[in-house]
Amino acid sequence: MKRKIGIVAAATAALVVLAGCSTPAAPEAESADGQNITLWLMGGDTPDALRDYLKTEYADATGGTLTIEQQDWADALSKLTTALPDAENTPDVTEIGNTWSPTFTTVGAFSDISDMYDELGGSKLLQSFVDVGAVDGANYALPYYFGSRYIFFRKDIWAAAGLEVPTTLAEFNDDAAKLKTATQSGFYIGGEDWRNGISWIFANGGELAAKDGDIWKSTLSDPKTIEGLTQLQKLYTDSSLAPVTEADSTPWVNINNNAATGAPEAATIIAPGWAHWSIGDLTPDPKDATKTVATWNDATFGNFVLPGVDGGAAPVFAGGSNIAISAASKNQAGARELMKIIFSEEYQNMLGANGLGPANTDYTASLGDDQFATALAESAKNSKLTPAAPGWAAVEGSGLLEEFFGKVNGGGDIKALAKEYDAKIDELING
Amino acid sequence: MSSLGNARRGIRAPHLLLIPAIVIMLLGMGYPMIWQVVTSLQKYGLQQQFGKPAPFVGLDNYVTLATDPQLWLVVGKSLAFCLITAALTLAIGTLLALLMSAVTKTARLILQVALLLAWAMPVVSAMTVWIWLFDRRRGAINYLLDMIPGVNMNRFDWLSTPLTFLLVACIIVVWMSVPFVSFSVYAGLTQVSDEVMEAAQLDGANGWQRFWGVILPMIRPVIAIVLLLQLIWDLRVFTQIKLLQDAGSKSGDYDLLGTYIYKLGTSSQDFGMASAVSILVLGITVALSWFYIRSLLKEDEA
Repeated sequence: MKRKIGIVAAATAALVVLAGCSTPAAPEAESADGQNITLWLMGGDTPDALRDYLKTEYADATGGTLTIEQQDWADALSKLTTALPDAENTPDVTEIGNTWSPTFTTVGAFSDISDMYDELGGSKLLQSFVDVGAVDGANYALPYYFGSRYIFFRKDIWAAAGLEVPTTLAEFNDDAAKLKTATQSGFYIGGEDWRNGISWIFANGGELAAKDGDIWKSTLSDPKTIEGLTQLQKLYTDSSLAPVTEADSTPWVNINNNAATGAPEAATIIAPGWAHWSIGDLTPDPKDATKTVATWNDATFGNFVLPGVDGGAAPVFAGGSNIAISAASKNQAGARELMKIIFSEEYQNMLGANGLGPANTDYTASLGDDQFATALAESAKNSKLTPAAPGWAAVEGSGLLEEFFGKVNGGGDIKALAKEYDAKIDELING
Repeated sequence: MSSLGNARRGIRAPHLLLIPAIVIMLLGMGYPMIWQVVTSLQKYGLQQQFGKPAPFVGLDNYVTLATDPQLWLVVGKSLAFCLITAALTLAIGTLLALLMSAVTKTARLILQVALLLAWAMPVVSAMTVWIWLFDRRRGAINYLLDMIPGVNMNRFDWLSTPLTFLLVACIIVVWMSVPFVSFSVYAGLTQVSDEVMEAAQLDGANGWQRFWGVILPMIRPVIAIVLLLQLIWDLRVFTQIKLLQDAGSKSGDYDLLGTYIYKLGTSSQDFGMASAVSILVLGITVALSWFYIRSLLKEDEA
């Protein structure tokens, strides 16, 4: 019979509306003792050791069980949309992409935790992340960790071509083009990879959207944005062999030697800092013969921060996550207990030790002072977030940005495309 | 079968027996259906999802969708995809069924087990394997095609243009649906009596004439229902396309109706429009099944 996804969606929506009628209990003096709660983490960024720590600490503090469910980034938006309003199915605490925070915060998906703000770190917390999770001065979502993207390159290949570490963006673009061969990308970037591609827009002073009074407007047609897109299109065409349909993926597999050919697919990639655990000389994993482990080799691999138009560091996309308590959760006390554990000195230091930028800037030193920590700090300095517009999550969910960047990098007419997609994004961006 | 009096006396019991089925139908399908219709007349976004009242906007959503060229492109693509895929599935399935009835018992068993395994494979596992097969760099398909002299398929990216993307999707969907069709048709074939076939042979009909003139008319009811089901399934195909998009592109050029509605609803949080498009799909489904409903009505009259 005719069971379609639409019906399912509508049915879910219907149930959700019914569930919405019973407003969740206010976090009065309920006790966290024995509350079993669920935490959603996005992707595999949080290492197992940290997950175990949270479970143990939570059990010690409340006697309850903490269940951690990992959600795939690609489907997280849909899952949050359907689960968060539903008291029966909502995670009690959830990690959320920092760029989605404005959308969910504006519609009231999260509990007001302003009263805990100072206890959890207050003004020491990463301000730009706090801002996207606040409405009218009240705090709903707080930073979980930050990361930022920098360049990994093959020292051997760059040296063989007689190239040095570039100091301006133009130099970088030229060098990348010189390193392209029939089987090797000079710089590997997918055509639809807008999260990395926007660095070229930001570097040229462009924006994805701007606020005009109370109204957000997409600004792809802004001359500065167009300039960045023009550079990106040329860079993609001249230096990348990645498919035009590829979005943010796992670029590090391309810089390691390919098992079949003994050569890498790419001389240069851009990746989040923690990717360095996956980059290096590959040897069989002693624990599992079907896998390999990468050992960083300073002679072959290196990193640098994407240079800006006039030198310095280019503003790259500020990766990272926020974390918040679901307003529909029945276990507000337990959830607040978990937040205290996450923002504790010990957990913040554990984040840093694993290469994830801690939310509390007091503990940034835990990142260490090796080349990766230095690059992370330097690239994060100028990093930028996507527009804090109420409809931004819908813009990301719609796939319009992938579509637009794919068409630009596929060799499309940038001005015409920018105009077309400005109109499409404007329909969604104000929520 | 029974006298008029018997029928009258028993009339209450059959009606009572129908009640549980009707209640389940109403709850399971009527309720979401009504909600879908209601939502399609509302402005229903993320704010409404989180409890704000949803304002009624009349037919606004339908006007928007009727004037959206992007949507009609998706509708056209989906219709073409569903017609081609269903026709291919039916053709291949019927051929396999004929093969099954022609070969020896052992060969038939092997064939049936192979088909059953393909049918029983969970979609996500099957898709993972298919995506590996078509992988741009290490896929077996490119590797094999590349071995043909004069063919250069090294690193050919199947998922990078809408046409090859839908071709891959079509192959996968056909592969997944053929077992059902061939088993159903084979079941139909076993009902064709040997006497009739023998008579046709004695009358001098050759293989093709026997198939076209005798077998096909006899198994027509099976073919009709199987075709109808395939058309409906292939029109609302979702999982396969979604997983291929995860491996390839999220861009709208690669959408069929299922993924289009999903994107509109759960990803862009416009549930009102998503419901309106769903109602449209329901309309298309009814239109597609019309041939079958009409033939059922005719049979009733006859």
